[in-house]
Amino acid sequence: MTNTPSPTADRLTNQFSESVTQLKPLLVIIGNGMATGRLLDEIIKRTPNKYQITVIGKEHFGSYNRIMLSAVLAGDATIDSIMQKPPAWYKEHSINFLSGSLVTYIDKKTKVVELASSAQINYDELIIATGSRTAEIPAKNQDVEGIFNFRDIADTQKIQAFAKQEGSSSKQAIVIGGGLLGLEAAYGLAISGVEVTLVHRNKWLLNRQLDKVSGNMLQSIMAQKKIKFALGHEVASFENTIESNAERKVKSLSGVTLTNGEFISAQMAVIATGITPNKKLAEIANIDFNRAILVNDYMQTSDASISALGECCEHNRATFGLVDPIWGQCITLAERLCNNVKKPFQNAPVPTKLKVSGVQLFSAGDVEVSEGSQCFTLLDKKALIYRKIIVKNGKISGIVLFGDVSSGMAYFELMRQQITVNTMMPELLIGDEFVTTIENEQKVSAA
Amino acid sequence: MTDIIFTDKQSPASVSSQTTSKTNCPYCGVGCGIEATVENNKVIAVKGNAEHPANLGRLCVKGSSLHETQGFHNRILSPRVYGKNVSWDEATSTVAKHFQDTIAQYGPDSVAFYLSGQLLTEDYYVANKLMKGFIGSANVDTNSRLCMASASAAHKRAFGEDVVAGCYEDLTSADAIFIIGANPAYAHPIVYQRMIKAREENPTRKIVVIDPRKTATAKDADLYLAIKPGSDAYFYNGLLLYLAEQGKLNNDYIAKHCQGFEQALQTAQSQFADIAAVATACDIELSLLLESYQIFAETDNVVTFFSQGINQSSTGVDKGNAIINCHLATGKIGREGAGAFSITGQPNAMGGREVGGLSNQLAAHLYFENSNEIDLVKRFWQAPNIATKEGLKAVELFDAVHSGKIKAIWIMATNPVVSMPNANRIKRALEKCPMVVVSECYENTDTVNYADVVLPASTWGEKQGSVTNSDRTISVHKSMIKAPGEAKNDWQIITDVAHALGFKDAFNYQHPVDIFREHAALSGFENSHPFSYKRDENDVYRVFDISALANISQAEYENFSPIKWPINSANPKGLKRIFTDGIFATKNQKANFIPIIAQLPRKLPGNNQVVMNSGRIRDQWHTMTRTGRVAKLMTHSDEPYIAVNPDDAKRFQLEDKQLAVLSNLGAEFIGRVNITTEQRNGEIFVPIHWNDNFSASARVSALVNPISDYICGQPEFKHSPVNIKPFNSVWSGYLISSQAVNCQTNYWSKIQLEQGHKYLLSDQQELGDDESILANLYPTIDDWLVLKDDQQNVLRIAGFIDNKLHCFFAASTNLDLEFNTRFIEEQLNKTHPIKTRFKLMSGLDSDGKNDVGTMICSCFQIGEKTIKETIESGQCKSVEALGEKLKCGTNCGSCIPELKAFFT
Ligand SMILES: Cc1cc2nc3c(=O)[nH]c(=O)nc-3n(C[C@H](O)[C@H](O)[C@H](O)COP(=O)(O)OP(=O)(O)OC[C@H]3O[C@@H](n4cnc5c(N)ncnc54)[C@H](O)[C@@H]3O)c2cc1C
Ligand code: SF4
Repeated sequence: MTNTPSPTADRLTNQFSESVTQLKPLLVIIGNGMATGRLLDEIIKRTPNKYQITVIGKEHFGSYNRIMLSAVLAGDATIDSIMQKPPAWYKEHSINFLSGSLVTYIDKKTKVVELASSAQINYDELIIATGSRTAEIPAKNQDVEGIFNFRDIADTQKIQAFAKQEGSSSKQAIVIGGGLLGLEAAYGLAISGVEVTLVHRNKWLLNRQLDKVSGNMLQSIMAQKKIKFALGHEVASFENTIESNAERKVKSLSGVTLTNGEFISAQMAVIATGITPNKKLAEIANIDFNRAILVNDYMQTSDASISALGECCEHNRATFGLVDPIWGQCITLAERLCNNVKKPFQNAPVPTKLKVSGVQLFSAGDVEVSEGSQCFTLLDKKALIYRKIIVKNGKISGIVLFGDVSSGMAYFELMRQQITVNTMMPELLIGDEFVTTIENEQKVSAA
Repeated sequence: MTDIIFTDKQSPASVSSQTTSKTNCPYCGVGCGIEATVENNKVIAVKGNAEHPANLGRLCVKGSSLHETQGFHNRILSPRVYGKNVSWDEATSTVAKHFQDTIAQYGPDSVAFYLSGQLLTEDYYVANKLMKGFIGSANVDTNSRLCMASASAAHKRAFGEDVVAGCYEDLTSADAIFIIGANPAYAHPIVYQRMIKAREENPTRKIVVIDPRKTATAKDADLYLAIKPGSDAYFYNGLLLYLAEQGKLNNDYIAKHCQGFEQALQTAQSQFADIAAVATACDIELSLLLESYQIFAETDNVVTFFSQGINQSSTGVDKGNAIINCHLATGKIGREGAGAFSITGQPNAMGGREVGGLSNQLAAHLYFENSNEIDLVKRFWQAPNIATKEGLKAVELFDAVHSGKIKAIWIMATNPVVSMPNANRIKRALEKCPMVVVSECYENTDTVNYADVVLPASTWGEKQGSVTNSDRTISVHKSMIKAPGEAKNDWQIITDVAHALGFKDAFNYQHPVDIFREHAALSGFENSHPFSYKRDENDVYRVFDISALANISQAEYENFSPIKWPINSANPKGLKRIFTDGIFATKNQKANFIPIIAQLPRKLPGNNQVVMNSGRIRDQWHTMTRTGRVAKLMTHSDEPYIAVNPDDAKRFQLEDKQLAVLSNLGAEFIGRVNITTEQRNGEIFVPIHWNDNFSASARVSALVNPISDYICGQPEFKHSPVNIKPFNSVWSGYLISSQAVNCQTNYWSKIQLEQGHKYLLSDQQELGDDESILANLYPTIDDWLVLKDDQQNVLRIAGFIDNKLHCFFAASTNLDLEFNTRFIEEQLNKTHPIKTRFKLMSGLDSDGKNDVGTMICSCFQIGEKTIKETIESGQCKSVEALGEKLKCGTNCGSCIPELKAFFT
């Protein structure tokens, strides 16, 4: 079945055209996640009528703020409240919106995409914004009921349903992965009364953003929220019980065995060890890819008519896991598609924050010292405040703030602009206001 | 039985009553009168007593912060024997028994008293009487030996008696003042201000300052001569020569009232071919020398004002006489505005001399040379064991302790472990001595730590008794508040021991006035007046006669108005000046010229040595046991320092503001280098105030050779050859602490703050990287904040108790950093919100406006920065204007020389 988009008034009044596709270039976007949501805004802001836009999304919802799923899990937000673009919005903007549709194939020669339903859609410009999925872990026996991802609304609803399940007296969950996502999942579950054990391969939490001291501080705060930890080990296998009901045998999770042999009992597990970019469509279509779909500075893939965006793309060897750089990609792409302006995308480090109430952390750049660097730290064990700046060649190369993140952005700017800071140390570490003081004083004495 | 009826009668309204008493400042030899206000057993305010002749209402910064040294913090509250608190009875009998046993076994000369110019006259009198009249030894010496012995002996040689002829008024009526070996701008501020004021009123008055060091006094002089250290007698011998050459002698006066002139002149002449040779000997330009001589010669009213720079020398007595010679030769003595005026460092050095508290004196200006005098005292005291020969002088006395000849010593109100030369030897001596008794007010003074028996003494404000200042004015200190714990007055403690030794009848005193009356009576006992022209061979006479006070009533004593001795039937109202008629206290009533061979200090520096001179700084007094407590006094100069000439700095690779080490006699002095052209080449200056309680190694006296004047035994404090080298710190920093701690760093210096203490630190060890550097100093703290880097270049630590900032440490291997600690000092002991307290680690207020710069005016806490900014903004064009605007310099005025410097 060929997809024939419903004609619009616009098209009908165009006397020169035989087919609508020739009237306006067809812009097709695969994936309706956060990148797409923002891109649509950027396009509409620039040229609301230049393209006939079609958005194809696997999920059954309009675009929503995925970031807030953590808050939903913690009970601080509802699904409704995180919706950003309901289906009506697409209609209002004359965008064809195909929700619950999975794209399975791209034919770049004929410029057609194919859906799981076998429907085909022509494009002039194609954008892949399929995001990423939960990374797989090597543990055995994964086909057990009670193992969840934490990626989208459906996952979140499942997890919540488990947590709210009546009856089972003790609800125990394993969260696998001590990164941002894992911590937010663990926190959300713990808040809803589930007994959570977080399993993390490294010796301390958030090991990519925090050093040992701050990682341990984070752990002690999370422990106050009744989360238990199994650090330094991985899940070797999932264990299950078998219940037979009328139709079939059900393998239900009963716990996990760790690589050290320890068994932790749980009825649910959330896997949050990392993300894997969704690049399968590019593979099939023979578009260049590496860890993800390769794009140039203008978000173009190896095929000039196909762009990629968000967590599914790879730019200068970097892949993405936070929204901040993705917004820049959206602008670059919108400029090119709408205005034909080439505004290169520049990837910049992004500071990390964690959305767990009562936890303040800020991390950017290097976490650990390296040859030739000097590392300044400030530690208040009782207040659980820790600040660290790594200086290399006189410039900031890494920032870790825990417990108090004031001045974080100022440091980040200094790092970004590669400003020489060695004369500002160690005052800068305490707060940039003390450095302003220093600079002012220097000015005064120079005058 | 009657019922008890409860009425609701109110207890007397709880208005705490304030009382005001006239008393005296206990700090320096000026002896200013004070009005002190007391409330709830605490002195809450002091102001100058306008009626007191010494200060006429003014007070210096030390005096005006007297009430801030009040409070019973760190006081010794109970007698202790071998570290255990005991009753007074037990302490007294322990002391008595030890002394008794020692005397029985080794004789009276095996025991000694070491007293202090800070004792009141009554304390002194009783101690002296006990030792010299009843124990039978003259081993009583005093720390006045370190300060006044030379002048005292010079007076005796020249005048026949230890008499300061003039008075403070002479300093305001003189037309020229020669200040030599004194820095009154710092050491005697009120007298100095009187001189300066007189000059302001009459600008023809001249102030000539002769000092190797360009002191604050020198900076404000009309003529300044930076003479070679120790060459003072050359200067005055040269002057005598000049006076003779220029025909400026008063031949009439010499002939009528003096003897020995020819010989004195010849001796001076034998030393110099001409005046140019004098200039060479003093190492100054001839023209300057002549200019000063001319001023002396041509001014009628000249006063020479001298102090420790003359006295603390191996030839201090000679120097004093060289000065007096010139005044006698010109008749510039014994009249208003003329004379040789020696000023004492201590509040009651003069009183001590009056009772005879030095080992070469017997009592009341009576000596051992004349058996009639011994007999007189014996009869007056009805003394069973009168001493018949001089005792040991301070340096010898501690030598005898060291060698074991003296086996029991009682030290009262002084800190010899800090103040004596070769002070480390004093420590060893006390360690060895079988019985060391120390009467003291404060815990943990360097000397108390060596005591077997500690006797808690009362102090200023608590005890009553008389003192005599530098111009013979007797005043009475009032007892205004109750001493803490079991502390007693010194005279009582001594009296108790005298009783325990079996001398009850002779020491039957109930009140200090009883002692004072006896003292006054002794001064007049068989005293044939020295000025009477008819005197018998065997008559014993002395100018010191206060017999008119021998029957003073207790009420009169308690409302004593200051009066200058002599006070006797001839002079019931006292006497401003003595020797006015040219009649002296010698046998033949003529003053003696003393032939002086000027000598340089005995020990000269070796090739790689410098000469260490020592003295006071402005706001400190003595060994800081008292003034070290007042925060604002420490802001002016808050670290032991070493003033060095730029050439020497180069020669010894010393850097300004870095530390350097002096060494001599196996002892070290660590101080901050202050490179200054005020210092002559080859000579350094160090302040004397610091001790083991205030700094790691800053007891100057430990480096002073035990070389004393051959006549009076006063040690040569002003001239010690020492080695000098850089300290080579690895890091430096500071610690602000609410409690006092024992720093372990190679260098530390303690500064008193309002809220606690500040320590400036430097170390030759690596800077650590965690709180362990403090953890053992503060075993109770477990709440630490640490800022560091991983190269051990920076370390800051804050310690909290109950969320209150208890200590703050900051250090860096960058030795050039200057720390501004004002802000953090103010944060001490305050509660800080746990979430933001880490900001304290900056040591700064986030608005950064706390830095007022080096403190200039200690009274109003006005710093250099504030002053500069005010001047630069054009608001103030003079010191007066600054005073109006910022108040600086308007209280004690001692910062005025520094304020003036901003305008030059
Ligand atoms: C719980 C949670 C919390 C987060 N918190 C933060 C945070 O605090 N800060 C931050 O910066 N980032 C956060 N992130 C990451 C952030 O959400 C992502 O970086 C961002 O959503 C990436 O946007 P995207 O459009 O590239 O991918 P996505 O938002 O994942 O969107 C991709 C969409 O494409 C759909 N899709 C995939 N394949 C197909 C296909 N073949 N056909 C049709 N549709 C397809 C997917 O179903 C999905 O809806 C969080 C993520 C999660 C899951
Ligand atoms: S000058 Fe100062 S220290 Fe000396 S007595 Fe007067 S007030 Fe006290």
